[in-house]
Amino acid sequence: MAKSEGFLERHHFLLRRLHSLTGVVPIGMFLMVHLTTNASIVWGRINGHDGLEGADAAVATFQHEVNFIHSLPALILIEIFGLWLPIAFHSVLGVIYATSSKPNNDRYAYQDNWRYTLQRISGYVGVLFIFYHVATLRWGWSFLIPGGTEWSAEYAASTMAAALQGSTDGFRLGGLLVSAFYMVGVSLLVFHLANGLWTAAISWGLTVSESAQKRWGQVCFVIGVGLMLAAWSAVLGFATLDAASAREVETNMLEKAAAADGDGAAPEHAASHDEDSDHTGG
Amino acid sequence: MTVATTNGTAKRTAAANSRKVRFRIKRCDGPNKLVRWETFELTIAKGENVISCLQKIAANPVTTEGKRSTPVVWDCSCLEEVCGSCTMVINGQARQSCSALIDVIAPDDGDTVTLEPMSKFPVIRDLWVDRSRMFDALKRVKAWVPIDGTYDLGAGPRERPEEQAVRYALSECMTCGCCLEACPQFELAEDESEWDKSFIGAQALSQARLFNLHETGAQLKGDRLETLMGPDGVSECGNAQNCVKVCPKHIPLTESIAAVGRSTTIHAISKWFSGK
Repeated sequence: MAKSEGFLERHHFLLRRLHSLTGVVPIGMFLMVHLTTNASIVWGRINGHDGLEGADAAVATFQHEVNFIHSLPALILIEIFGLWLPIAFHSVLGVIYATSSKPNNDRYAYQDNWRYTLQRISGYVGVLFIFYHVATLRWGWSFLIPGGTEWSAEYAASTMAAALQGSTDGFRLGGLLVSAFYMVGVSLLVFHLANGLWTAAISWGLTVSESAQKRWGQVCFVIGVGLMLAAWSAVLGFATLDAASAREVETNMLEKAAAADGDGAAPEHAASHDEDSDHTGG
Repeated sequence: MTVATTNGTAKRTAAANSRKVRFRIKRCDGPNKLVRWETFELTIAKGENVISCLQKIAANPVTTEGKRSTPVVWDCSCLEEVCGSCTMVINGQARQSCSALIDVIAPDDGDTVTLEPMSKFPVIRDLWVDRSRMFDALKRVKAWVPIDGTYDLGAGPRERPEEQAVRYALSECMTCGCCLEACPQFELAEDESEWDKSFIGAQALSQARLFNLHETGAQLKGDRLETLMGPDGVSECGNAQNCVKVCPKHIPLTESIAAVGRSTTIHAISKWFSGK
């Protein structure tokens, strides 16, 4: 019965720990930044932006955040090595590991055991959601968006709203499905991160005693609630946004940036520059 | 049971004696034989446990359908919840049948008690399972203090009472298997060759910690950690934490798992920087 030891078995410990590590850094850290940025579609209303108020301020704030991200040097390398590869690694190994699980919640209905099972379910759904999210909005697979709209970095909020609503002028049935999928997807991913932070501390041996695990669990709960609020505000904020008036705000911003860009610098650099000068970034 | 003389006690005992409880038992005549369910009905006296009921069934193995069956086979030894051998799945959860009191698990007339063998160990017959894998796991993690040799090693290092107190709790493990039965990561492995390929479970992890905490036992700490860094080791734990909740000895199994996690982290890092 001498089964030859495969790659996964030979490097079991290292791969397991890298799986745990990538979930926290970079993926977990990125999710925190990503959700806070996207929630600007709600907190931007409160903050105001460049003399704008209400939804217009939120659209401008979000656009400002997006411009900042697109001004980062070698963004594609950051994406590939900081996000796509770690997410692919975490997902593929996670699915392989999760297949050895035999949930028994019917017999052992403890809260911890439910979180164990939900961690695996949220992993599966999360992989599908992230794939859909990145494919449609980043890789431009707009045939997967019900209205067929395309996301654009210059019209960030309005095209995001169109993707969630299924058209550029209000909700369609397809949009309702996409928005529902987003709500489920982000909620499960936030749970996956918060619970993953709790289990990672046990796996690495940071929290050993039962009371230490409980204390860190409370911290993870607070992190989870905070991120959940950010995630829900982001999805609901874009799902209820008026895409047409958002587009006006974005067009104005582009025109202003072009006007300030008389000396021939790259347009998106100028845009982010201009905004950076009078408002604090995300 | 002799009935007490005073009126009140006599009445209560009579009422308790007339109580009927059904036992739904998962039966199997041997490895790879078909599984079947049989139901027996017994009159329960006060203070009975699952084992005394199984003895009554053995004395008269007639099912509720009136069919004459065979005595149910099960394993037991100490009858006071310290040997672990009578562990079975009672009403869906793993526990010892000696300490499963009928008055608690089936308090009312007409209640049913469901008995199954543990599902994570090969069935030998009926409720009797082969727990060898756990004893093999103890060998794999070298759950002992190495003092054998050809000459007198003299007195060992001094042990601190605080650490002895921690170790005492871990030493109460009776290798019953409840933690493994309840673990969603621990799988049934019928063949011995598969034992080191799937999760070793909380029982052996906790014993590895016990002997790592012992001053002399710690001489084998590196060997134990190397074993537990393998494909069946500590990183297979999924943190469902059922083990600690079902442990009849209340051993802090999840603390043991985290402690082994910490030891392997330190071991791996120090090996990466200073190992060969």
